[in-house]
Amino acid sequence: MKRARFDLIALAVFAVILFFLPDLLRNAYGRASVSYLSLLTNAVTLAILALSWDILARTGQLSLAHAAFYGAGAYTTAVLLRLADVPLWVGLPAAGVVAVLLALLLGVVTLRLQGIYFAIATLAFTEVLRAVVQQLPTRVAGGAAGINVAPLFRPEFVPGEMERWEIAFLRNESYFWLYAGLLVLTVLASIYVQRSRLKPAFTAIRTNEEVAAVMGVRSARYKVLAFMLSSLMVGLLGAIDAHRVGSVNPYETFGIQTTVFALVTPIFGGLYTTLGPILGAGVLAGLEETLRRTFGSGYLIGYGAVLVLAILFMPRGLMGLWGWLEPRLKRRPPSKEAP
Amino acid sequence: MKTLLALVTSLLVTFVFAQPVQIGVLSPLTGGAAGTGLAQQAGFELALQEINAAGGVLGEPLEIIIEDTQAAAPVALAAFEKLMTEDGVEFIAGGYSSGVTLALVESFRTFQPVVTWIGGAVSGVGIDGFDGIEELLGEEDWFFHIHPWDYHNVEAATAFVVSTGVDSVALLHEDSAFGGPGAAGAEALIEAEGIEVTIREAFTSTLFGGTGDFRATISKAAATDADMVYWIGYDSDVVPMISQIRERGYTPQYIFGTPPGWPSEFADAREAECVTGLIGFLPNLPTTEAQAFTEAYRDLHGNEPDNYMAALAYAQLWAYADAINAAGTTEQSAVIEALEAGTFRSPMGEWAFTSSELTDHQGFGADLWLVFQYQDGVREIVWPLERATAPLQSCR
Amino acid sequence: MDISLIVQALVSGVLAAGLYALVSVGLALAIGVIGIVNFAHGEFLMVGAFLTFQLSVSFGLDPALSLLLVAPLLFLLGAVIYRATIQYVLKAPELNQMLLTFGLAIILQNLALLIWGGDPRSIGDVPYRALGFQVAGISFGAVPLASFLVSALLVGGLYYVLIKTPIGKAMRAVAQNRTGAALVGLEVNRIYLIAFALSAALAGLGGVMIAVIQSPTPVVGFAFTLKAFAIVVLAGLGNIRGVLWASLIVAVAESLVATLLPNGDTLRNAVFFAIIFVVLIANSRRPA
Repeated sequence: MKRARFDLIALAVFAVILFFLPDLLRNAYGRASVSYLSLLTNAVTLAILALSWDILARTGQLSLAHAAFYGAGAYTTAVLLRLADVPLWVGLPAAGVVAVLLALLLGVVTLRLQGIYFAIATLAFTEVLRAVVQQLPTRVAGGAAGINVAPLFRPEFVPGEMERWEIAFLRNESYFWLYAGLLVLTVLASIYVQRSRLKPAFTAIRTNEEVAAVMGVRSARYKVLAFMLSSLMVGLLGAIDAHRVGSVNPYETFGIQTTVFALVTPIFGGLYTTLGPILGAGVLAGLEETLRRTFGSGYLIGYGAVLVLAILFMPRGLMGLWGWLEPRLKRRPPSKEAP
Repeated sequence: MKTLLALVTSLLVTFVFAQPVQIGVLSPLTGGAAGTGLAQQAGFELALQEINAAGGVLGEPLEIIIEDTQAAAPVALAAFEKLMTEDGVEFIAGGYSSGVTLALVESFRTFQPVVTWIGGAVSGVGIDGFDGIEELLGEEDWFFHIHPWDYHNVEAATAFVVSTGVDSVALLHEDSAFGGPGAAGAEALIEAEGIEVTIREAFTSTLFGGTGDFRATISKAAATDADMVYWIGYDSDVVPMISQIRERGYTPQYIFGTPPGWPSEFADAREAECVTGLIGFLPNLPTTEAQAFTEAYRDLHGNEPDNYMAALAYAQLWAYADAINAAGTTEQSAVIEALEAGTFRSPMGEWAFTSSELTDHQGFGADLWLVFQYQDGVREIVWPLERATAPLQSCR
Repeated sequence: MDISLIVQALVSGVLAAGLYALVSVGLALAIGVIGIVNFAHGEFLMVGAFLTFQLSVSFGLDPALSLLLVAPLLFLLGAVIYRATIQYVLKAPELNQMLLTFGLAIILQNLALLIWGGDPRSIGDVPYRALGFQVAGISFGAVPLASFLVSALLVGGLYYVLIKTPIGKAMRAVAQNRTGAALVGLEVNRIYLIAFALSAALAGLGGVMIAVIQSPTPVVGFAFTLKAFAIVVLAGLGNIRGVLWASLIVAVAESLVATLLPNGDTLRNAVFFAIIFVVLIANSRRPA
């Protein structure tokens, strides 16, 4: 209980920092804060992908269906706004609902699949869903060309009172808060999983499902619950992204790279933790941008090399590094007192 | 004395305050679209070298800042904002992918720099319920589009099809945002000319994870025995498509394809003989401009400018340089006027911005396109007739 | 419905299964013997394709002959990568192996982009690439036929090696029980090295075929990684004979759908993955 309280306080501090971050950036960097904010938004996106994937992975389910729920959320918003004259914001909760229902379906069907079998089944689900969406009547889902999605935020330009970059800042700030809000929600879900009775249940299922069953853990219920929780977050993310990038289409919206980065990031940061995936997202996003700005062509070779070296030298990710560092840091003070 | 003082002052001002003009470029340099982006980069590099050798822009060497978009919308957004806010550029060049362009629309509108764009061909004209690039940006006075729209492509292709005198066409197309709407437009236009479209069949491009086994699709086309196979796909579909049509023993009068580019080595393949294709630029275009460009390109990069995107990028950067020099300032409205009024150089010959369906800022339309035919390992231009280097041959 | 159309679809499907089997069997070896989840398997194929291309451009070497060079080169590449990286993650969780091999895939892809550029390339003239002949109204392509035979030969050869030769027996022993194998004096690490290098060589040979029938590009491999994984899993991990059956089933199903339905080619991947999905689910529901 104590640890849960500590986590919540830490989260509150994190949320407050996220809330004030745009203004801090603006004060520090002026108009350059516009692009920094977009880069940060991309990092937050990665963090949401990673943490929501990790929540599911804690039950031992290695999903390759993240792109499916991301795409389902994006398309739900797009189709709804296109067909029904609903307010802009209705799309988001609807996207969450659709993603959760799909997860319920897929979760129940794949209950008995384990490890790589589960992974491939979820990959297959993604590919089939993409094909289905593309085959839907054009007037519903837009076919190959896709659908335009209106922006959520369109700050008004007041000539004379502001500069053009300030509109961009206001828009990016609004989006950033929205993404940050979703991240906070995801962290909250993750903390709940880590600090409630769910944690031992999830861990037991992951390490040995049969033993877990003997211990009385109703694994089916927990596995599907994790699936729904995870998909809710990524479905919402897909919907917000659809507004931000202005359109959806089958190949890009259901692109496999969403899935790939959802699993790469938490492994890099540290699996089965709340902090690991977030740290991983921050470091990887920062690394990629730094390499891009420093090296130009071929910069992704460096990115790949970092992933390889990371696994070779810190097999438990960034969190493992901390685990190695922490006791050494703590041991120092007494040694100082020694003569 | 006064004039001398003015001269000294202006020299001093130029010396101390003159900033080199910077052009921000957005191109996909990594990932699946890297071929296009790297071709653009090569074209920009050549133009930059020539522009600066010719005295630069406003008396200073021109600079370009190239940002990799990875052809991914969120990356492109941050890259565009970096160019606008960190680098402070006022002119944007490059461009690729309609999805990425759609993502940039809001941000373009916010900053309203001068944007000239050599990608994003999906106009939206004729697609119900979908707003394309021309519909969204065509009327902005700061937006200039330097690439034919999708309907231009179809218009040129159809004109060629009609010119061959065939009675029937089998239409095979890939199923993404490129080939899907394109094929629908092509079918309507071809049938309006009284030519029968015997079949319209979609396939998945190898670019999007397709297997590259087009035999089933080709069988269906062969069964209709159409005079022409007209296929819309990507560069990486060329080899499997052509070789499998041959393998099947299907010999239509013409095989006509409209991928964005053709693998350069394919000219040597025996099955390439007689195949025709739509292309934006060919190194053997028999004009002085094309020859000069090809030679200079070869000197700088050591290979042929095979991807027409290099030629378009070259034209784009030169247009900026000439327009800003003509305006004598980087002031936006003056540069826009100069772009509107100017006539510019390109490997394809002189060109200017004209009107298309919705915009008055359209560089290159249906007239960009050439049709070549592989004849004895050479891509001879066979259409339009006034630029032809050899007559079209029937292959049956 | 014309019966010859269906026969044609069956023939095309069976012939296409060869390449699937060849690429998948290498991955099955990596997963089955070493227990390594290799996300860079398709990149070995990509490297094989570019090497074939380069051998043709630089030395005018026919792709059929470059089989003999590409196989040892990829074997070497596989061995080097095993020694430098893979051997350190043998006992690591499969997720770590995924991240490591994904990193390798990014490196290989972007190296290829630096060396060969992003535009699709092609081998200029391959005398037999467009060769086909018709028997009783059914079309046979020379290349699909040859690639089927070569694949069958290689897969058969691999099967023979695994069953009959000492190194194959050792591999199977190691696959079944690592510690036990070590106890009876088998050099586990060397056997792993050979298995992984062999796996890379098989993928590279698939690349030779891709270089002939398609265009080598830096990103050509990834689709094969995913499909090979699906086939290996459909077959049951490490089941070599199962890989043959699985390849045959999905390839024929793809070909039938592509032939019989309008716009059927666009449904190939959907059918492929729908089969995988249904079979996996059905198998998991069968009482043990």
